[in-house]
Amino acid sequence: MMGTAPMLEVSVGRGADRPPEERGIPRDGVRLLVSTGREETAHRFPDLVELLRPGDLLVVNESQTVPASLPARSRIGEFLVNLSTPYGPGLWVGEPRWAPGKPGPLPLDVPSSLEAGGVPCRLVAGFPGIPRLVFLRSEGDLWNAMREVGEPIRYGYAARAFPLDAYQTLFARVPGSAEMPSAARPFTSHLVERLLSRGVAIAPIVLHAGVSSLEMTDFPLGAVPVFPEPFEVPGPTVRSILETRARGRRVVAVGTTVVRALESATDSCGLRPAHGFTRLYLRPERPVRSVDGLLTGFHEASSTHLALLAAFVGGTRIKRAYEFAAREGFLWHEFGDSHLLWADPDP
Amino acid sequence: MTAPPGDVPPVAVVTGASRGLGFALAGFLVAQGFELVANARDRSVLERSARELAKDGGSVHVVAGDVAEEATQLALLRAVERLGRLDLLVNNASELGPSPLLPLTEYSTRDLERVFRVNVVAPLELTRRLLPALKAAHGRVVNISSDAAVAGYPGWGGYGASKAALDLISLTLAHELREAGVSVVSVDPGDMRTAMHQAAFPGEDISDRPLPEVTLPFWAWLLNQDPTRISGHRFRAQADRWEVPES
Repeated sequence: MMGTAPMLEVSVGRGADRPPEERGIPRDGVRLLVSTGREETAHRFPDLVELLRPGDLLVVNESQTVPASLPARSRIGEFLVNLSTPYGPGLWVGEPRWAPGKPGPLPLDVPSSLEAGGVPCRLVAGFPGIPRLVFLRSEGDLWNAMREVGEPIRYGYAARAFPLDAYQTLFARVPGSAEMPSAARPFTSHLVERLLSRGVAIAPIVLHAGVSSLEMTDFPLGAVPVFPEPFEVPGPTVRSILETRARGRRVVAVGTTVVRALESATDSCGLRPAHGFTRLYLRPERPVRSVDGLLTGFHEASSTHLALLAAFVGGTRIKRAYEFAAREGFLWHEFGDSHLLWADPDP
Repeated sequence: MTAPPGDVPPVAVVTGASRGLGFALAGFLVAQGFELVANARDRSVLERSARELAKDGGSVHVVAGDVAEEATQLALLRAVERLGRLDLLVNNASELGPSPLLPLTEYSTRDLERVFRVNVVAPLELTRRLLPALKAAHGRVVNISSDAAVAGYPGWGGYGASKAALDLISLTLAHELREAGVSVVSVDPGDMRTAMHQAAFPGEDISDRPLPEVTLPFWAWLLNQDPTRISGHRFRAQADRWEVPES
């Protein structure tokens, strides 16, 4: 699926090249920009406790980041295979690239043989519409190879390699994300205790995020490809959301992955439990209705995340918020600062 | 997809495998280690396609002939018997009907009968003939449907009605064969740039439609689902989401 929404021109601030812990501040010490329909205000992440009210519901992604970047080689030389999405035993979609800061596509034939993490693999097909992704059929267990020699996927903007723990959120429980669903990264157990004591509830979904590298590449203006990702919205979470809204309380998605999962579980009859793969592209012409608030990070100008944000509150508000954030020195990327967006002008 | 015991490769029969969707799917199956029995009407086109499918060392067996004819069905049965198993039957070969498309009231009875013969009766007959092998392997049947089966598009009435019938046959077979461990689904692949689609719009530019390869991620997903959980369901290969039905 190709999204064809016009590119949103937004300000881009400085990127965080390392986790806050490595900058001398705790995980929950990052800044928090709050955007309503009226204004932007700057906070600290722990202020979330006061910004939410008893009865509000946070929906979190329980997907755990896996060390999906494997050393690889074939007759073209040595490179990396970043595993994106498992389709079944021995069948993966992955991205061969030269190095963290050096993308492909690589001159690999289809079909051809390669070795990823020591496991013989066959490149069986290109991924339709996305030249740098391929289907890999493995002759051994790539999960096992990841445990043995895998590293977290990183890109050129990261200062260096960080341990896998740096890429896990407090809620991570189900292994499967190639890249950290980073919106929940600042949550600590202490902060969650304070939220629960205040009467804020938490409910889970799972969406395993694939590689995000595509978003930084040179696709035609606005034609951002969306590939399928596994997701599950369980019955109890559906009930919590419906009850929260019936009581007039607010549902806040922690991360764009949560919005994608919830919108993917919504049909003409409303929200229901769902389980499968989604490649739903949320954009301004396809508005988001399943949540009242969205807690997220600061995203690249050409990303699908940004289209989703615009789907949620409109492009004008995103432009204004990003201008404010860049001016006030908020930090971009997965180790950066947080952004709470409310759909309602007076949440 | 669950591998058969030992080193025996799984076996797939794909009808209409020489071009378009059937060819793309057949290539994907071969690349994943399936032993393929490929059928299409035109022997020379089929043999050329089979050489292409086997160029990476894959194992491809050719059965040329009209899938609506008993002789072709029996030849497919013999091929399956020789290979000793059947894990996947893809009923893909389809008859569009008159080109350009005609409104239903202008359809000849002969054309309509031919469309139903190829798109409804033949897939059922083939399933029946190959059933012992399908049962033995707890195999899957995939019937290729169309959005024309539900939409009522002008001109697509004959084709659409036959695909609607095939959808119901899929659903019914799924119930009837559940005990035997055979799974049956129908798949609407969506609009694609194929010879059949071009025949429906002769002379028109259909280059805005995606190539059949656009469905490969869907097939990768479908063939890795638990067959008993998805049996009896209809999927859209180009939909925004592919869901495992609630059990």
